[in-house]
Amino acid sequence: MTDKILLLPIIIPLVSGAMVLLFSNRFRRAIEMISLLAASLSLLVSIRLFKENLSFSLPWLGQGLEFSLKLYHFSWFILLAIASFGFLIILYSILFMRNKAYLNQFYSYFLLTISFASGAVLADNLLIMLFFWEGLLLTLFGMIAIGNKNAFKTAIKAFIIVGITDLCMMAGIILTGHLAGTLAISKISLSLNGLGALAFIFLMIGAISKAGSMPFHTWIPDAAIDAPLPFMALVPAAFEKLLGIYFLTRISLDMFQLSPGSWVSVMLMAIGAITIVLAVMMALIQKDYKRLLSYHAISQVGYMILGIGTAVPVGIVGGLFHMINNALYKSGLFLSGGCVEKQTGSTDLRELGGIGTRMPVTFICFIITAVSISGVPPFNGFFSKELVYDGALERGWIFYAAALIGSFFTAASFLKLGHAAFLGKISEKNKGVKEAPFLMLAPMIVVTLLCVIFGLYNQLPLRHLIQPVLGGIRMEGHDFSGFPGNMKLVLATVAVLIAALLNHIWGVKTKGSGLKAVDHIHHAPILSGIYDRAEKRYFDPYDMGLKIADLAAKIAFRCDRAVDWLYDGLAVKVTFAFTRQIRKAHTGSYSAYLAWSLIGAILVAVFLIYST
Amino acid sequence: MYSWFILFPLLSVIILNLPFRGMMNKIAIWYALALSIAQVYLVLFPVNIVMPFLQLNLNADIISRAVLLCIAIVLFVTILSAKYLIKKEDKLFNFVNLLFICLAGMNGVTLVTDIFSLYVFIEITAVASYTLISFYKDKDAFEAAFKYIMLSAMASAMMLAGIALIMLISGDTGFFAIREALKVSPHSSLIVFAIAIFICALFIKGGLMPFHGWLPDAYSAAPAPVSVLLAGVVTKTLGIYGLIRIMVSVIGFDGPLKQALLFIGALSIVVGALAALGQSDFKRMLAYSSISQVGYIIIGLGTGTALGIFGAVFHLFNHAIFKSSLFLNSAAVESRLGTRDMDKMNGLASKMPVTGITSVISCLSAAGLPPLAGFWSKLIIIVALWVSGYRVYAVVAIMASVITLAYFLSLQRRVFFGRIKEDSMNIKEAGIGLTLPAVILTAIIIGVGIAFPFLRDAIKF
Repeated sequence: MTDKILLLPIIIPLVSGAMVLLFSNRFRRAIEMISLLAASLSLLVSIRLFKENLSFSLPWLGQGLEFSLKLYHFSWFILLAIASFGFLIILYSILFMRNKAYLNQFYSYFLLTISFASGAVLADNLLIMLFFWEGLLLTLFGMIAIGNKNAFKTAIKAFIIVGITDLCMMAGIILTGHLAGTLAISKISLSLNGLGALAFIFLMIGAISKAGSMPFHTWIPDAAIDAPLPFMALVPAAFEKLLGIYFLTRISLDMFQLSPGSWVSVMLMAIGAITIVLAVMMALIQKDYKRLLSYHAISQVGYMILGIGTAVPVGIVGGLFHMINNALYKSGLFLSGGCVEKQTGSTDLRELGGIGTRMPVTFICFIITAVSISGVPPFNGFFSKELVYDGALERGWIFYAAALIGSFFTAASFLKLGHAAFLGKISEKNKGVKEAPFLMLAPMIVVTLLCVIFGLYNQLPLRHLIQPVLGGIRMEGHDFSGFPGNMKLVLATVAVLIAALLNHIWGVKTKGSGLKAVDHIHHAPILSGIYDRAEKRYFDPYDMGLKIADLAAKIAFRCDRAVDWLYDGLAVKVTFAFTRQIRKAHTGSYSAYLAWSLIGAILVAVFLIYST
Repeated sequence: MYSWFILFPLLSVIILNLPFRGMMNKIAIWYALALSIAQVYLVLFPVNIVMPFLQLNLNADIISRAVLLCIAIVLFVTILSAKYLIKKEDKLFNFVNLLFICLAGMNGVTLVTDIFSLYVFIEITAVASYTLISFYKDKDAFEAAFKYIMLSAMASAMMLAGIALIMLISGDTGFFAIREALKVSPHSSLIVFAIAIFICALFIKGGLMPFHGWLPDAYSAAPAPVSVLLAGVVTKTLGIYGLIRIMVSVIGFDGPLKQALLFIGALSIVVGALAALGQSDFKRMLAYSSISQVGYIIIGLGTGTALGIFGAVFHLFNHAIFKSSLFLNSAAVESRLGTRDMDKMNGLASKMPVTGITSVISCLSAAGLPPLAGFWSKLIIIVALWVSGYRVYAVVAIMASVITLAYFLSLQRRVFFGRIKEDSMNIKEAGIGLTLPAVILTAIIIGVGIAFPFLRDAIKF
């Protein structure tokens, strides 16, 4: 096998993505066939490449720049995950997107996203990676923009937020290249002080923003409503987590030596903890299936960042394991949301309810993925969260506490979501709802099964995929697979879950419906004020930025007017004042002109005589 | 050979008026055209024809030749437009005769080597000009000609007095002799006074502020071909070339004199431009613009450096070209609309495209936009001012070109741009007699502007 095969995961979706764009929407079948074929080919190639150590290099653009790709134990499973999710969600999209507009654009961006994501994972040169990374920004914009009628505004928002953080990353790459003297990722090794720390922070901003962490998250809930659902299941739920956390891990472990004592580690943990708590609090009060999920997509990133930020093996392993688990159950949840949307035509929880018996497969899948995300044993989320808890507790109880609070609210909000959507009274409109078609159920079932397998047989992912990433030396001979060793933590988790359940039961009993089960938290004295402001986007950095930009534009406009007035007003007025005086002086009388000439001549003569 | 430049036009007048006038009537205009073309040719490619009789004491350096070229080109376009505008044959015949006298006078001014001959030729040209201005015998023209005569009379008196005083010291009127004599006693106040009044007389002839009173009336009231001739070459040759010649060949540059030139030049630039801004009469605006542009020539001269003088002569040439072109445009508009009031015009470019385009190019050249000819001469003048240390004047010159652009754009906007008025819907482009000369001049503007870097090497100043 030649090394050129490394190009296939990039080229197959790239070419087919371009090809799809050639077809008009009338050739729906051709578009679907090409997309599905490309996705399955990518998947086959990724499976073939699994466990291969390869590198590929080609001189590029001159200047000693190398188009270098590298496949090793970390990129194996990320590449495989990308190809698998791509395949499953394309399968799902075929029915879901059938009657939507912009079909060719959707599939084209979808395939290009797969291509760029594979490229970013494989790249062994920061500049090459940046190239693919920025390509993802374009497809991100495109995929959001083809959504509903508000989508374009949301796409702009996403583009600006991600674009700015990508600029930070670009600065970080320049700085890193300057400090290390090379852009080859595998050759960079920097310490975290002075400019090195600055470079790390810039790169980290790029990474965690891609993963959707706070404060770069605000476009995700908007996109959840406006963008096509498969996009949500693919990009914010799976790809962005995979890529962002992959890159964060690479910069923390390979390029910079992140040690538990450093302030950067504390900063990462703080970002993680804050993201967990704030995002899940927002998720709690949402009244829309997809929007609720999108806040969880943000919140869960917090666990990963917290885990990696601990810089201790158990935390890092937990963070990475959580990354893959989250990709599974979060895309599963979004897919279930898609099934509900497809069958009932709505994702507003106020219009749903009682459809659990009519859509049993969807409901079961939802239950399993929901308990996974809530961290109920023995599903996969439980194991990865326990590892993160373990790491967090090692670094400080406050981080553990934040993670635990997050767990409580996660469980509470999913109890609310499940209750409001699937149980309770069914509305008249939804009486005739049937189960989703098999083609849409299949991807969801696969993902759900994987959640169960990764939980029950967690040795499989941990031993074969994740622990090798850290390498034998860093692992110090530990093996984190199997049931958690620290029983106290498990008990605490179970206690929190039971508390969430009791809270839900109490909420339902007092307020009378599943939808309102958490209203006592929503309308709690201090919280309600904060919630109101958050819902009005007072805390959205993008809106704040817009306000500042607006103010700056107003000031610049005033300055511009002032300068205009200086030229168009004052200068013209002064000039014409002179002009009027000159016109007045020209009376047309020749005697006056003679006098001027005479006076002029006398002045010239006097001047010349006196100055010589 | 240069004697021919003076004698031939004079002889032509005599020959044209010999008994067989009837035949001459028809060919006079073509004869004049041929003569102007011959002058262009002879200036560019000098031929040494030895005169068998009447050896005049003449000399032509590069400055004289540049002015001779201007005279020939402007004369050519004047004759073309006169052919078109003056319909009566005997009127045209008279016109051509006056042009010949003018031509002889102007060629004389550019070629003579003593100040008395200079005075005589200036008077010859001036007398012909008075008649030309009042050619149609209308009231405005008489008033204008009268003002011109009154101020010229004052100039003549001052010039003669100056010559007399200079004669007292030098005993000769030749440039070289006076120059030598001035070197002996340069700073006696009598000499300075003589120089002062002589120069002021030339200021009057050249129409500089504040000696310009006659100029706007004369330019605007004169018949269109005469305006072209007056603005293009007459005042430039009599006043400005005379001044350049006297400064370069006779007096030389010393501090106070340069200061006086620079000040008068800057005053003319600024006040002329501001006054032009306030005009609504097409030709009056051009007249004030002439005052302003002449100011540039004078401050270029005022630097006293070779670069400055080169810039001044080059700008003189450019001004002759673009101002003639603009006066032709004004004639074209006036001939179609019957008015010179710019407030009564609008959007004429759609009906008179050739006139519109040539006027835009001429205006832009006057405002000094690259790559047109006017840009280079202004640039050279400003650079000369800067390197000679007259930075304030350089800044004034630059700022004033903004006003220049302002009034020319206002002219364009009022006359040629915009939507055409109802009552001028049916007008047509002016005849070939007005458009062809304008096109020729515009071609010169563009050609000189683009080819300037090559010309600069070709002309050894």
